[in-house]
Order: sequence, then C-alpha cells, then structure tokens
Amino acid sequence: MCMKGMTAHAMPQEPMLDQTPDGWMLAMARGDRAAFAALFEAEAGRLIAIARRIVRRQDLAEEAVQEGFVSAWQSAARFDPQRGSARAWLTTIVRNRALNLIRNDARLEFHDAEDVAAIGDRAADAMAALNQLSDRDALKSCLGALDEPKRQAILLCYVTGLDHGEVAATMKAPLGTVKSWIRRGVVALQECLS
Amino acid sequence: MSRQDQMARAGRYVLGQMEGRERDDFEVAMQADAELASRVDRLAQSMQALDDTVTPGAIPPGMWKAIEARTAGMAQLGPVRAGTVVSLEAARARRRWLPAALAASLVLALGVGYLAGTRLGAPREPVAVAVLLNETDSMPGAIVQAYADDSVTLRPLRAFAVPEGKILQVWTLPDRETGPVSLGTLPRQATTRLQGPDLPLPHEGQLYEITLEPSPGSPTGKPTGPILVKGYARFSPS
Repeated sequence: MCMKGMTAHAMPQEPMLDQTPDGWMLAMARGDRAAFAALFEAEAGRLIAIARRIVRRQDLAEEAVQEGFVSAWQSAARFDPQRGSARAWLTTIVRNRALNLIRNDARLEFHDAEDVAAIGDRAADAMAALNQLSDRDALKSCLGALDEPKRQAILLCYVTGLDHGEVAATMKAPLGTVKSWIRRGVVALQECLS
Repeated sequence: MSRQDQMARAGRYVLGQMEGRERDDFEVAMQADAELASRVDRLAQSMQALDDTVTPGAIPPGMWKAIEARTAGMAQLGPVRAGTVVSLEAARARRRWLPAALAASLVLALGVGYLAGTRLGAPREPVAVAVLLNETDSMPGAIVQAYADDSVTLRPLRAFAVPEGKILQVWTLPDRETGPVSLGTLPRQATTRLQGPDLPLPHEGQLYEITLEPSPGSPTGKPTGPILVKGYARFSPS
C-alpha cells in the first residue's frame, strides 16, 4: 500500500516510525504488537545462537529465547535507551534466562553427563569468539592484553556460561586461583576499556 | 565500596558469576547506585561484541505463535519511576544499628503477630508462601502469603524497630529484568493485606523482602533502605 500522499500533518500524534530495535522496543512499551513481531524477526535467530553456546541444547536455547521475548514484552516500558541499546537489553535478558536454565538444580543431570569432549568444545567456542572479534574492537585488544589464564577464564565464563567451579575443572586449576584470575582480570579489563 | 571493588563486582555480575542472594542483593544495590549501574551497563555493552560473533540460528516455526499466545492479554509493567537515588553507602551505614535494635525488640514481639493474624479471615488458598528471615540470625520475621489476584497478606512475627519518619515497605522481585516491585507499605505492624500491582503469578523461589524506607514510602519506587527480612516463595502443597 502506498502512503506517499500522506503528509506529516495528516497524523500529528504519530511519532516517526523507527524501524530499529530501539524504535521497536519503545513502540512495544506503547503496546505495539507489530513492533514486537518485527523485533522477534530481526533478533530471534541471533539470540538462539547466543543461548545455545551457553545451554548447549537446541530445545533449552529456544526456551531461553521464548522466555526472554515474553519478558521483554512485559517489561518493555522498563527499557531505557539512555542506559544502552535495545539489542543489548534483549541480549542481557536472554543470557540471564539461559544461565538460569543451566544453573537450575533440576537440569543438573544434563550438566553432569557432559563429557570431556564437550568441555573441549566449550573452550574452542570461547576462543573462536575472541578470534572473530573485529581487530578494531577495543574489547579484542583489551582481552589480548590480559595474561592467558585470565583471558581464558573470562571467556569461558562469558561466552559459554561456565561458573567458576566449571572453569576450574576445565582449566585444571584450583578454584581459589580461578576466582582470583577472574577478579583481577575483570578489573584490568575495565581499566583498559575505560 | 572502592572503585576496584565496584569493578570486581560489576565484572562478576556481567560474567554470570553471581547467583541467588548475592545476585539479588547486587541488583538491589544497582537500583540505588547509578555509578555502579552504569559500570555494569558499560561492561555488558562491551562484552556483547563476543555475543555478536555467533552465526544466527534458524528460527523454529511456531516459536512466534507460542510467544504471541503467551503474551496475548498479558498486562505490561509500567516504567520505573525516577526519583532521588540514595547511595548504597548511606543505606549500609543505616543498616549497622539494626541487628541490635531487632534483637532488643524480639522479646516484646513474640505472639503479637499471631494474635493479630486471627483477625483476618482468609478463605482463599494462597498460591505461594514465603517465610522472611532476618539475615543476621536467620530468625523468622514475617510470613508472606501470595494470592492469585496479586494480593498478599503479610504477618509479622516480631516487632521491627521503626524510627520516626520511617516506614516498613514490602517488595518482591518477579524477575531480574523487572527488578524489585513494591507491594505496599505497612502503616501498622499487624497482619496486613496488600494489593500489589498486576504481576505474573509468583514463581518458586521468588524473592520477597521488607525494607526500612523514608515515610510514606521509598522516594525512588525501588528499595533504598536496609533489608530487615527476606525470603523466597514456596508453593503450597495442593
């Protein structure tokens, strides 16, 4: 349908249609379901892949993304563009859902069954993510400036959602050492990024 | 909190290394501390470059339909009200005198809550129950019963020391994105029914807490004062 003939003053109350994730989120806060559908189309595939790196299972990844979108609809008015982009907000929601799924006791049997090869996959995923960062990204140079164990511990936590106990097992290092790597690593990383 | 300490905690949070109470407490702290919140936002934003390295997966057919069905008719939450932000340090400083005051008032409190409770007929079955404990000695301080219509009844099990100009305020944390939501204030320390805002049904483990706020209620719409008691929802066996 061609809307060319319609001039701005024909719809004085309508804000400009902003077809970006930020625009869709703001429209969702006003109850706009078309904007919700557009956001889903644009972001769901990426979010499923992010969640899958954490939960390692397609069904759980889809569950995390579905829960995340329901929560985004419900809390749309809490999205504040001043605090960050809509994509970032949505990614945080889905990451948290995914982490909740694997940290939930009821799913432990899945976790325990994970074999050595799967743990190797996680380390490979974490390193692949680092390598795929753009060279212009400050995060890449700042992660690169960290000692190897700190960098690896941070990537395992963030990219694959391991907790510090699992990082210790994967890196074959004592828990206290891993905690200290993470602590000193994240402080150094933030100093470098700021 | 030192700058290093702030960065370490923000880092642990963004890396997903906080769980349970520590994470809940940190999220409450972020509500009251804009500097801490912005540190978390900046780090999360930087780290997400790693998320963006994924190759997007296929969207399963039916997923959108399921989301549409789940959200049809679902009430949306209102925005967080802006207001004065109280620093965490100030809240912490106020917290220090509390355990002693609580202990001193405990003896007087025993039994009073139960008597008050008998005044309130509750024919309906609660969907969830939470026993709120004092963090320092793990003694029960109040019982929350949550009902399907967003109302809760709160039964104090001890008297809380409430200084002049302060009031007890009841909160719940429906989920981390929503943040803490006020269920109302307690004008008197008696069993009280509060009508909360429209929220999803409580889930197993949902956090409930009582904080001490400036009267007539938190100026920010989020908890700013010390947590007196808190606990996690359990479902009533049916």
